[in-house]
Amino acid sequence: MVIDLRKCIGCMSCVVACKAEYGVPLGVWRTWVKVADKGRYPHTKRVFMPRLCNHCDYPICVRNCPTQATFKNEDGFVLQRYNRCIGCRTCVVACPYNARHLLPEARKGKNLPRLVVDKCTFCIHRVKKGLVPACVQACVGGARIFGDLNDPKSQVAKLVSKEQVSVLKPELGTSPSVYYIGGDWAIMDENHSYKFRSRQLVEEFNTFKKNHFGDAFADIVEGESTMYWVGKNMADFIASIPHKAAGVFNAFKKLIFG
Amino acid sequence: MDDSVIISNAFHHVAWGTPISIYFWLVGASAGSFVLSAFGWVFGIKRYKPLALSASILAIVMLLIVPVLLIWDLGKPLRFIYLMLPGYWHSTGPMAWGALLIMSYPVSMFIYVYFVVKNDQFWARFVGIIAIVLALSTHWYTGVVMELNPGRYINHTALAPLLFLTGAFISGIGLMIIVLWIQNFFVRPEKRIEWSLMEEMAQYMMYGIVFDIFLLYLDFMQTHYGTESEMLGHGEVLMGIFNFPYVWLETVIGLFIPLAILVSPLKRTRLGVYGASFLVAFGVYGMRIWWVMGGQYLQSFY
Amino acid sequence: MSKINRRDFLKVGAATTAVAACPGVGSAMELKLGGEDFHQIRTFHPRARAPYLCTMCPYFDGGYTYAEDGEIQKVEGDPNHVATRGKFCSKGLASFFGASDPDRILAPLKRTGPRGSGQWQEISWKDAIAEVAGKVQKALDKGADTVHLNEGAFKDGGTVRFMDTIGSSSVIRSRFPSINNAAKQAATEKALGVDFVLPDLEHTQYVLNFGSNILETAAPLAQRLTDGMVEQKLKLITFDVRMSHTAGRSDEWHPVFPGSDGIVALAMANVIMEKGLADKQFIGYWTDYTTDQLAEHLKQFTLKKAAKASGVAAQDIKRIAIEFAKAGSGAVLSQNGVSYHQGGVDAETACLLLAVITGNIDTEGGNCLPRKFNIATLQPAPEPKGSAVRKLNHSFPFEVKEGARKVEVLFNHMSNPAYSSPAASVWREVLKDEKLIPYIVDFSPFMSETSELADIILPDVVGVERDDVASSPTALFPWISMTRPQFKPRGRAQDVRVTLKKIVEAIDADGSKGMKQYWAFSDAKTWVKKQIEATEGIDKKKTYKTLKKKGAWPSYGKIGPGGRKIVKKKEVIEAEYNTFHTEGLPTPSGRVEIPLPSWNPNPRLADLKPGEFVLSTFKVAYQSLSLTANLKLLSEMWHSNPLWINKEVAHKLGIEDGALVRVTSDVGYLVTKAWVTQGIHPQVVGISTSVGRSAYGRVAQANPRAHAPFAHEEQEDEDIDHNLWWRDGGTNPNDIIPIALDPQSGVQAWNDTVVKVTPAESGDKYGDINVDNAKHLAIYKKSLG
Ligand SMILES: Nc1nc2c(c(=O)[nH]1)N[C@H]1C(S)=C(S)[C@@H](COP(=O)(O)OP(=O)(O)OC[C@H]3O[C@@H](n4cnc5c(=O)[nH]c(N)nc54)[C@H](O)[C@@H]3O)O[C@H]1N2
Ligand SMILES: Nc1nc2c(c(=O)[nH]1)N[C@H]1C(S)=C(S)[C@@H](COP(=O)(O)OP(=O)(O)OC[C@H]3O[C@@H](n4cnc5c(=O)[nH]c(N)nc54)[C@H](O)[C@@H]3O)O[C@H]1N2
Ligand code: SF4
Ligand code: SF4
Ligand code: SF4
Ligand code: SF4
Ligand code: SF4
Ligand SMILES: [Mo]
Repeated sequence: MVIDLRKCIGCMSCVVACKAEYGVPLGVWRTWVKVADKGRYPHTKRVFMPRLCNHCDYPICVRNCPTQATFKNEDGFVLQRYNRCIGCRTCVVACPYNARHLLPEARKGKNLPRLVVDKCTFCIHRVKKGLVPACVQACVGGARIFGDLNDPKSQVAKLVSKEQVSVLKPELGTSPSVYYIGGDWAIMDENHSYKFRSRQLVEEFNTFKKNHFGDAFADIVEGESTMYWVGKNMADFIASIPHKAAGVFNAFKKLIFG
Repeated sequence: MDDSVIISNAFHHVAWGTPISIYFWLVGASAGSFVLSAFGWVFGIKRYKPLALSASILAIVMLLIVPVLLIWDLGKPLRFIYLMLPGYWHSTGPMAWGALLIMSYPVSMFIYVYFVVKNDQFWARFVGIIAIVLALSTHWYTGVVMELNPGRYINHTALAPLLFLTGAFISGIGLMIIVLWIQNFFVRPEKRIEWSLMEEMAQYMMYGIVFDIFLLYLDFMQTHYGTESEMLGHGEVLMGIFNFPYVWLETVIGLFIPLAILVSPLKRTRLGVYGASFLVAFGVYGMRIWWVMGGQYLQSFY
Repeated sequence: MSKINRRDFLKVGAATTAVAACPGVGSAMELKLGGEDFHQIRTFHPRARAPYLCTMCPYFDGGYTYAEDGEIQKVEGDPNHVATRGKFCSKGLASFFGASDPDRILAPLKRTGPRGSGQWQEISWKDAIAEVAGKVQKALDKGADTVHLNEGAFKDGGTVRFMDTIGSSSVIRSRFPSINNAAKQAATEKALGVDFVLPDLEHTQYVLNFGSNILETAAPLAQRLTDGMVEQKLKLITFDVRMSHTAGRSDEWHPVFPGSDGIVALAMANVIMEKGLADKQFIGYWTDYTTDQLAEHLKQFTLKKAAKASGVAAQDIKRIAIEFAKAGSGAVLSQNGVSYHQGGVDAETACLLLAVITGNIDTEGGNCLPRKFNIATLQPAPEPKGSAVRKLNHSFPFEVKEGARKVEVLFNHMSNPAYSSPAASVWREVLKDEKLIPYIVDFSPFMSETSELADIILPDVVGVERDDVASSPTALFPWISMTRPQFKPRGRAQDVRVTLKKIVEAIDADGSKGMKQYWAFSDAKTWVKKQIEATEGIDKKKTYKTLKKKGAWPSYGKIGPGGRKIVKKKEVIEAEYNTFHTEGLPTPSGRVEIPLPSWNPNPRLADLKPGEFVLSTFKVAYQSLSLTANLKLLSEMWHSNPLWINKEVAHKLGIEDGALVRVTSDVGYLVTKAWVTQGIHPQVVGISTSVGRSAYGRVAQANPRAHAPFAHEEQEDEDIDHNLWWRDGGTNPNDIIPIALDPQSGVQAWNDTVVKVTPAESGDKYGDINVDNAKHLAIYKKSLG
């Protein structure tokens, strides 16, 4: 996929389209758009950067997955097998791009996966049917362009050869398949994201950590005692054991009594 | 620079949290105590034979809590079995190796304990060697599992397994000393572990602490003078948000204060030895916290 | 899976599709943009498709709904729609969640406790209709005009017909029924005789944007602008008081002082005339004055004056004017930033003048005349009553309070004045007063701030359930689109047209009052069918059929792969320009009747004291006033609206980012958080609208426990109950905005409010609002003179 940042207008259609396509629950994202303000009044600019799984050529997530639940298929898509995934989140730790998330147990839709890891699938179910991914379909600015890089006639191949493109964290050797045109350091750089996050963003993130059950028992709220949160996480973890035990019990029951 | 702000982004949880860091601590302490237990039967240092049983039992008990933490922390606990099923098992995933180790290490310990109880020196030693390799590997892999994430700059260092092992060694000894001290209240006088042995163990612990400080210093050098991400992770995340576990709990409480005690005349007092042991055992938990959660923290804003 | 292949990425795309080659229109091997849909897990299982028309904003983009398992699963734009081109904005894409909203009203509700107490009872439609009909009947005895309608829909959904049927002329509007606002429409109607001008953004070289946030508020235009930005390398100049997405993505953003766009535009016009860059031929042939006359008149609008009023450097104004005139083609955009001030019509006229003097009227890359179908009304139709009052009227509550309007029954449709109108607190006071308004009927499917104060709620269907048809001038090719619901309305929700029909039938049971005849349709579907068939310019045989199947008519061709051009039989279809050259413009004279422009500064803004700011309220890309209030995917992205304040100024006032501040207007204050930014004029502060809800339920109120009354179990959404993570729901600025109507057009001068900003005082809590309605009233009275 090529993302032409010159055309991205931060409309978030891609985010909503993707969330609707998969019923992605609140608090987790397969794709999102980072927004940054740059410069000093009145010479100020706004930059957007859509993010999603890079479908790396050398995906660390795949390498580190202990059960082969995530894999790279013959077409280069990095995909999930929900029925294999044990929810260990090794791959989440491994992905340098935050592209993965653990699906919460509570979500809308009866037969959708829960408590396993999920991520962008490059909409393989659409692509196999000759349709562009949902986020590309929806992209108002026309910033997201999808196609076969090996086909020199394709729009993506033309763009990659004609324009200056960059990928995220090239130094990690993951060889991403998502190319950005017109990338801006102010938003592409991960350290910058941390150093120059606005104070309100930190506040919001804190709210998020307090109210969104991440199932990882790892949320530390900035500005509050780390050890308090470590303790609270452990208490939450212990409190969650009976609930999970009930789940396991039910699964056994189903297995034995059908 | 100052006038460029990120105003909106998606939020990401840190993926491995408190249960995992406790698990790392337990695995470490278990490996540490087991090494002690093996002193007598495997390395033939006779003085250590009396504590072998309690040490291995401690190691086993701790290792029995581990699967609870690990398995219940999985999204799909029942599927933990996939970690070992052929066809699922994935040779390039450190976790897959870890699963094998975590399963085989307690088994080997059980067998070892069996021969210790039967007082069978040959087999105890034979199985003990295997068990010790497994114990070290089990803990080595916890380091590797974090290390092999090039995107988590704080964890991505070849020092990781060593840091873990050293931590394991000192926390194992520290915990062992406490346990033996408590044990001494409950057993007949002739079965009590002598004070001189404890002093000697404290001595080993001290060497371990020195080595650990050395390793931490190396790590500090790398991150402090490292890439921007390393500097940021160290300077802002570890020294900032994880200040308590990193600076205070691990370094000050867990290493420097015990070291001070153990090089001072206090090391001959019971209070000194028991105190230092407690601080070390506890302090290493600080390292597990910052190592696991701090390492992932920086990226949660990316 | 141990070995990873080298880059053999996406062979599959090429293998499974074969799109015919279209010369010059991108590559041959592209994937399709849409038009069909499949289940994500049960792959290759096609979903049922039906036409859908987005009504979240007046652009009415055409698309499709896709359904499976008895539920709409998603919506998307129609890839071959000439305006939409497959693209919906985030609001459109999220709109279908309204149907399954757990806090939706699914049955008629009757108030049981005192007004506003939140006590309700579900009743049957029969009882509900009988009750409302009885009330209307009684009111009619006291005079038809005691029945009032507050209308907020972008188009007539039957409510106005109902008023005409019963003979009432008391129709007031909270929202202008067009893609323009009233001031801009007044200006274009006078000058060109049309209600809208469409900038041809894909083909233009230069865009002058005055106070329009096009990238956030108009998906069909935004996509053309981005195409132009990259493919045409057009230059985009934005004048805005703050850095909107549009301003932030422009080549140049000029922060202007509020309300000064008119003089900037006039000074530019002056420069263009002076430098001889005007299109003399066009002026001479199409306007009533000569170039010299015009130049003479414009002389008074000097660069110096403009620079002083706007704060934009004189040389910038001059340079931009020259660039624009020389660019070959140029489009002028203007919107609420220009209109929502006192004197908005003048300012809009000034902006339009720039297009006229450069001859950029209906030219390629210029400002084009609207192209659309006028959807017919159902025949026979009742005689329209008192069309003069069918305009915006934000002073309604004051008039009621003052006794100037007698109300027996108030109908409210698609409008939420208790939140969205100026002096919203006065609205709430009046709506709550049973003596002033004895009976309030609301058709809202959601428990809005206004619905909370109603006596009876007759829940309408939501967008994906409504039979609908529309045409909006958003492309150079006219189109019609429609919605065909895939499922029956949920619960006992009922289309407002059917509800009204039943009310009419109850009032005029035997048809003797002559009302029933206008409601002779069986259901909403036939209503729409009859409308389409009566519309001029359609194909009597095919249009309805095509619409039912494809959702849009006519078909001009396919939108080419890669590029976004319309292609038919391998040929790119081009739009027609200069359409008025043969028959003239639809003005009385057939020519451009632009008045000689003037500019009068707003004295209140002109002498702003230190410490005073102009409060600007604006829309964001992810919400559409109250229409999107309860849509979870949108609120997740946008739920809080801190006060934008310039960094340097905030620093001086001792206000840090995130700190609580008091924003005090002439009528009271609100307490909110500050967002300290480099992106706003130092004399302006900004608060976005659409959030800061006290009603609607869980999502809008940012609280998973804030269930609306009668939330229905079958609508439960675990996602909302467990995963809704944000708690900051924002604050509504409209209570502290006093009424300020522009006399020429009746629009509220939303962007003229003067406020003071101070750090919060002790005891102030986030979200506090404290206003004095007596002061609101005093301001209203003063405005009457
Ligand atoms: N401060 C400030 N205020 C503003 C503006 C501003 O810029 N600043 N902008 C102004 C502008 S431009 C406008 S157009 C107005 C709009 O203001 P209003 O015309 O009052 O419109 P909304 O607030 O969107 O209210 C729409 C109502 O319709 C209901 N509704 C939603 N869907 C349906 C449906 O399918 N059927 C029916 N029957 N009802 C439905 C919703 O619950 C809601 O109560 O706001 C104005 N308010
Ligand atoms: N996302 C979204 N889209 C919408 C709507 C929505 O609610 N949300 N509503 C629809 C409706 S009803 C309408 S009317 C349109 C409105 O569409 P727009 O007119 O584009 O939107 P607004 O936010 O009302 O105002 C535009 C800009 O005017 C700026 N402004 C304020 N004062 C001044 C000034 O004095 N000079 C200049 N130059 N700029 C100024 C504001 O900062 C703001 O960025 O959008 C439609 N589309
Ligand atoms: S971006 Fe992350 S999840 Fe996606 S393939 Fe690369 S490493 Fe894996
Ligand atoms: S969470 Fe699932 S996909 Fe990720 S590493 Fe574990 S088993 Fe593999
Ligand atoms: S390609 Fe599909 S799954 Fe990936 S971000 Fe886009 S819409 Fe979501
Ligand atoms: S839909 Fe396209 S233009 Fe809009 S935010 Fe996403 S990538 Fe950017
Ligand atoms: S711009 Fe968005 S809200 Fe407006 S009609 Fe189009 S999709 Fe709907
Ligand atoms: Mo509007």
